Amino acid sequence: MSQPAQASFARLLDIVGSANAVTDAAGIAPHEVCGVNPAVVVSPADATQVAEILRFAGTEKLAVIPTGGCSKLGIGSPPARYDVALDLSRMNRILSYDPQDLTLGVEPGVRIEDLLRTLAEQKQFLPLAVPFSDRATIGGIVAANSSSPLRHGYGAARDFCLGMEFVTGEGKQAKSGGRVVKNVTGYDLHKLLIGSLGTLAVITRVNFRTFPMAQAQGTFVASFPDAESAFSFCRAIAQSVLTPQMLEVADPVSADFLLSTQAPERIAVQQWAVIVSAAGHPSVVDRSARELDRLAGPNKFGELIHLKQWESFALTRIREFPRLVLEAAPDAAIFRIGVLPAGMPSLFKDLSEIAKVYNLELATLTRASGIMFAAFFPQAWSKAPSPVTAALVKGVFHICALPQNCSQPMLEWCPPQLKRMGVDSWGSRRDDFPLMRRVKNSFDPKNILAPGRFAGGI
Amino acid sequence: MQPQLIRDLEALLGPKAVLSAPEDLMLYEYDGSVELGSPRCIVFPTAASEVAGIVRLANQHQTPIVGRGAGTGLSGGAIARSGGIVVAFSRMNRILEIDAENLRAVVQPGVVNLDLSRAVDHLGLYFAPDPSSQKSCTIGGNVSENSGGPHTLAYGVTANHVTGLELVLTDGEIVRIGGKTIETSGYDLCGLFVGSEGTLALVTEITVRLMRKPEAVKTLLAVYDTLDDTTETVVEITARAITPAACEMLDGFTLRAVEDYVHAGFPKDCAAVLLIEVEGLTEAAEAQAAEITEVCRLHRAREVRAARNNEERNLLWRGRKEAFGAMGRISPMYYVQDGVIPRTRLPETLRRIDEISRKYDLQIGNIFHAGDGNLHPLILFDERDREQFARVVAAGGEIMRHCVEVGGALTGEHGIGMEKNELMPLIFTPDDIALMERVRAAFNPAGRLNPGKVLPMGKACGEIRVPPTPASAANSK
Repeated sequence: MSQPAQASFARLLDIVGSANAVTDAAGIAPHEVCGVNPAVVVSPADATQVAEILRFAGTEKLAVIPTGGCSKLGIGSPPARYDVALDLSRMNRILSYDPQDLTLGVEPGVRIEDLLRTLAEQKQFLPLAVPFSDRATIGGIVAANSSSPLRHGYGAARDFCLGMEFVTGEGKQAKSGGRVVKNVTGYDLHKLLIGSLGTLAVITRVNFRTFPMAQAQGTFVASFPDAESAFSFCRAIAQSVLTPQMLEVADPVSADFLLSTQAPERIAVQQWAVIVSAAGHPSVVDRSARELDRLAGPNKFGELIHLKQWESFALTRIREFPRLVLEAAPDAAIFRIGVLPAGMPSLFKDLSEIAKVYNLELATLTRASGIMFAAFFPQAWSKAPSPVTAALVKGVFHICALPQNCSQPMLEWCPPQLKRMGVDSWGSRRDDFPLMRRVKNSFDPKNILAPGRFAGGI
Repeated sequence: MQPQLIRDLEALLGPKAVLSAPEDLMLYEYDGSVELGSPRCIVFPTAASEVAGIVRLANQHQTPIVGRGAGTGLSGGAIARSGGIVVAFSRMNRILEIDAENLRAVVQPGVVNLDLSRAVDHLGLYFAPDPSSQKSCTIGGNVSENSGGPHTLAYGVTANHVTGLELVLTDGEIVRIGGKTIETSGYDLCGLFVGSEGTLALVTEITVRLMRKPEAVKTLLAVYDTLDDTTETVVEITARAITPAACEMLDGFTLRAVEDYVHAGFPKDCAAVLLIEVEGLTEAAEAQAAEITEVCRLHRAREVRAARNNEERNLLWRGRKEAFGAMGRISPMYYVQDGVIPRTRLPETLRRIDEISRKYDLQIGNIFHAGDGNLHPLILFDERDREQFARVVAAGGEIMRHCVEVGGALTGEHGIGMEKNELMPLIFTPDDIALMERVRAAFNPAGRLNPGKVLPMGKACGEIRVPPTPASAANSK
């Protein structure tokens, strides 16, 4: 923090109380963003304090990044400036929950695990099966638009978030949407905040619709010898009458990593694994099992496996995929790629070729609804320091842009030194970038919220 | 001689693509709402490049510009409130691509909603948003208004089904946002533009998700002797977390009018009916239908009837979807509202509407999306009776205030338009509105794109607009 900023430090303490501000290295370290540390961590109690902090930051030109569980601060570009970490973990109340209406309003610091536990008491849930689930908070999950395998059956945050309250870069409290399940009153500004990485506003309340837990659930795994037959199975499911809540494709490396080697008792997957969950009335699960067995056809290895006692193990491993990869290979680069079902086999083939060229291992996990996670890391999960190069990243962005792949990647995770060498997690600027800039200027005209962390240097 | 603007537009689009005679303008001065506004001209572009040219001419002539699909909107979204150019998208009505494998279609904005579902029917697919006007409303209009329909209970509104848009910005630039994939990196611009009611850009191409038709559909009609039993059923269906694909309610007054017109088989002596649809795997539909029947019986439904075949099902839905039209047979005019409430507040809300109807001595019919708490009170009136119309406006305002008081919203699917923009302060603070204004100014800096819509203009704050002259006839929406 610069010299004048030091003077303003006292004012921040005034707002939150000295017990809720941290300046020591150990307290600050968890709030590091891509190698950049803030000077102070302040933990506001409510939206009013958030607004006061942001108004003050605007006057003093302090750059602020909202944080919560600090599990996803590595996503995005290194911030151009970063003075204040706005730790929202004290704002962790469930503000309203009407189980009879299936609606919910929460503060951003609520941990997803805690929230799911409360909802489970009413036999309800939110379809946010996201990584880092022991730390991740609602604010962070929404701001990073964390991907959930349950999107297949229930949609993404943009589909079940009903509205938000937030504080803009000018320190103004504002809201959009509402608390009812159907609403087109005014602009849906909250949709812009989903995935905005804290660059537009600080979220202070999120309203969701909740979902009833199914009476029964079954998770099944089918193994296939190659990408083509695994993805064909997914397409057959999509063309069928089945409505799975989850449909994931793991390549041989991921299948082994997620389901076999770590399992307390090996789940007998071979090569490619397609993992499908069906939920609903018990008769729906039974019927799904029969249909899946039929659709998997003669191409599959062995029998369709009904996971039963390993279901929760498998679902946790799938949910935590990026975290598990990073634990095993801290310098891995993980791309999140929007891809159409028909383009999945060719995209995988292109990515494998790139991995070969750079002598790296590739592990992919694909949400059949249209997202492929592609992790590149050293052979044999070695913890060797960053073998991922700028050239590889460029190569991946290039092949994703090919018309047959028709996708929009983001480099979600990579060693921070790679970013500091100039690798842009967002790829090249797109045609719609100037529109995003206009949005940013509307929300945060002084550019104090996570400057530089977003696409195109926003 | 024609004014310069008309001549410029004719030079750009050809004389057959520009209408400016008074008798032509009259046809475009209204939509499905009770609002009116006369444009200077109507233009019919056939491509995005022409739309861009129109926008540039509008800038040159400093003229407002208003997009229009089929004009079925219910909040005045397509009305040229401040005059100017109406851009009618009826000639941009091609389905550009059907990609069954990836469950996508790319369409021009003038494609009629139901035509898309018909075009993919042979593939076992459909487009989920199904407004009652789906036989005539356009997908471009659906995108502008973020339209819903009965089946949005299970599948969401238009925003949940759009993955990409081609836009013409106010400077005439053509730009694409989103794409065919379910997500693209960066801000969710589609999330902002869908439902922006034509105030941020003109949409010239839309990429939508297609859905696979379910294996089984079961349509139930539950008949009640009291309104309270009907609404309590809806509350319990929601509380038991049964999620039907649609859950519609028609009160006795409305269904009698409908029955005389459509002969859908609604019993004319009852207090209300619920039209409930469940779908999915045969097993799922049967289990849900059984549970719903049980809940209906528990709440004293005097009859729960299942449609035995497609003809019966279609007839029941015709009764629902043509209800607004049926109202036109018994009243010269109606004013339809679109408030939303938490579903637990349904019983008290319907009682409140009944009180309001007595207080103002007005006939109010209720036909609405009960499952998601989206009300459509239809207030009947005769536009020649100005005193009565004042009561209509007051009653409408009172219903709307009730929705807000119980934690609801001003509109579930019809949009704010020019009808409810002065009511926005009931929900939003000055700071909320200032931010929305700023976002609008970021894309529509001169305010020429659909002026006077969505956000309040600062006049008659907190009131439903009283149109100077109500439109001449109610028609089927």
